Amino acid sequence: MRSPFSLKQEFLKKWILGLQRCRSSKKNMSIFERKKVIKLSADVAVASARKGITCWSRALIADAVKEGNADKHLAEKILGPASERQPTEKVPVGAMAYNKRIRSKKIPKRGSVIRRTIKCAPQAARPSSIVKRLVGKRRQILRSLIPGGEFMNGVSLIEETLDYIISLRAQVDVMRSLASASKLVNLN
Amino acid sequence: MEKDKAFMSEELKNRTTTRQQQPAWNPCGFMTEMSANELNCGTEQVGNYFFNPNWDNSMDQSDPFESALSSMVSSPAASNVGSGENVMMRELIGRLGNICNSKDIITNSTNVSCYSTPLNSPPFSTDPGFAERAARFSCFGGLNDPLRDSLKLSGHVNGSQTINNSTLSRSSSPENAESGVSKEESSVSEQLPGGNTKKRKSIPRGKAKETPSPATVDAKVAAENNDESNAKRSKQNGTVKASNKEDSKPAEPPKDYIHVRARRGQATDSHSLAERVRREKISERMKFLQDLVPGCNKVTGKAVMLDEIINYVQSLQRQVEFLSMKLSTVNPRMDVNMETLLSKDMFQSRGLLPHTVYSMEPTFPFGYQPQQGLALNNGIANTTSQQGFQLPQVNGFIDGNPQVGSIWEDDLQSIVQMGFGQNQAQCYQGSIAPGQVKIEL
Repeated sequence: MRSPFSLKQEFLKKWILGLQRCRSSKKNMSIFERKKVIKLSADVAVASARKGITCWSRALIADAVKEGNADKHLAEKILGPASERQPTEKVPVGAMAYNKRIRSKKIPKRGSVIRRTIKCAPQAARPSSIVKRLVGKRRQILRSLIPGGEFMNGVSLIEETLDYIISLRAQVDVMRSLASASKLVNLN
Repeated sequence: MEKDKAFMSEELKNRTTTRQQQPAWNPCGFMTEMSANELNCGTEQVGNYFFNPNWDNSMDQSDPFESALSSMVSSPAASNVGSGENVMMRELIGRLGNICNSKDIITNSTNVSCYSTPLNSPPFSTDPGFAERAARFSCFGGLNDPLRDSLKLSGHVNGSQTINNSTLSRSSSPENAESGVSKEESSVSEQLPGGNTKKRKSIPRGKAKETPSPATVDAKVAAENNDESNAKRSKQNGTVKASNKEDSKPAEPPKDYIHVRARRGQATDSHSLAERVRREKISERMKFLQDLVPGCNKVTGKAVMLDEIINYVQSLQRQVEFLSMKLSTVNPRMDVNMETLLSKDMFQSRGLLPHTVYSMEPTFPFGYQPQQGLALNNGIANTTSQQGFQLPQVNGFIDGNPQVGSIWEDDLQSIVQMGFGQNQAQCYQGSIAPGQVKIEL
């Protein structure tokens, strides 16, 4: 069994490496640029901590170095020399077409869906089909949230969600500890 | 920002409480061995190391964020409750063993067979309900990898008839702490085929999808009984949705347990079987998700659960955004202190205590050596100057040179690099000296 800190340590290590790599020459970056750098390096670090095992991690990295991406150079700098980027070689072709995540998708209210189905056809108003529709809509939203989610079917979607949630939690924990510690130190 | 802070502290509180309720459950990344239990312990310990020294200082500040964090830190360690539950589980299983009145454990062979060839049918035909219950026992007995096992099996079991095999293999999981327990369970299950069907039939029928409540062992047993019967029923009925046509059958004919059960009145062709297996897998994963996402235990039904999951993922993503924005506003003045904190975090598991900056003397009462702290600072200053930055003296740096600006990350990396270069060193102080000497030259 891995040590309890393994995921967080990996993430922290890679995050700092990434931050180091994209250290810019100009000393005064705007605050938004810094935030972008921090977030991007954190995301890439979390994704690479999975070492290409999960689909979402590969899709995240692939999306970062996609051609049309504005911060592509930044992501490439973070990822380092091409020799270290093994996980991205396994990226399926379809994942390269993945676009940015839709941040806040409105979840359709159950009432609206039911009303719509009843209007459409009386036969479609059976409870099973309504439930299918509801679940399908939510699956769609979940797919849009998880990087590379459009290419996952039912079972793998939930597995990827599990893994993604765990990684996100680790990321949030580490970042929060860092922020709080720095705040505490600042107050002293 | 304040709203987000409050939201985060709220969520922290929620997560603390859920962690206290579900200490023994371990979801895995599906091919890794990471577990939420580890995460729980990890965060608590990390939080400890960050905040315990500042306990007295921080409690005065009446910051809801801090208090939430300190409450998270002070929450009971997961392992204690987990071991308590283990004890209760063993008692319960001991009682069950007494019921069946015989203790010959011939399950070694079955366990071995389950390990080696999961596709083979087990040599004994037990009641699958009890086998599932046994699996649940071992799952919930703490420090187990139900997800990994089930996922490992899903690779083997694809579309085949061995759902019961999967549950049996799950019961014989390779966890050392639980292997004895699972063996006992399998032996008990072996000896109680008849009594089990009776027990199962008498379980009151609930909804098709009921969530196991991990609160107490007794509740667990009852919940697991319900859960197994419902899982059985859902397996039979083939769908987990809250639809009207899910009338559970009163008595399941004790068919051959190697194959997937065919629902009475439904065609047993391969399509529907495969579909049922797929749905069963999906519902399994959803159960794990339920345990992972806080506040999902009371929720039944796929749609609402997916709602919760979506909300949770969105909130986590928003938190990442917020935290990265917060970190980007970090004042570069106290970078040196942050570096030591980070290095402390890095070397936690190796038991190396960091050497704090001398200016932090009052706040970090745990072991530090001021001389080493000074040496550390000099090392930092020297490395950063080596990297081509005009870094003033250490004192000036701490006093807040505004020109330092956004290079705090570089200081971070410098110390981390030093640390990584010497991460195999047994003694931190011993390793810093040669590095420092080298740099000064």
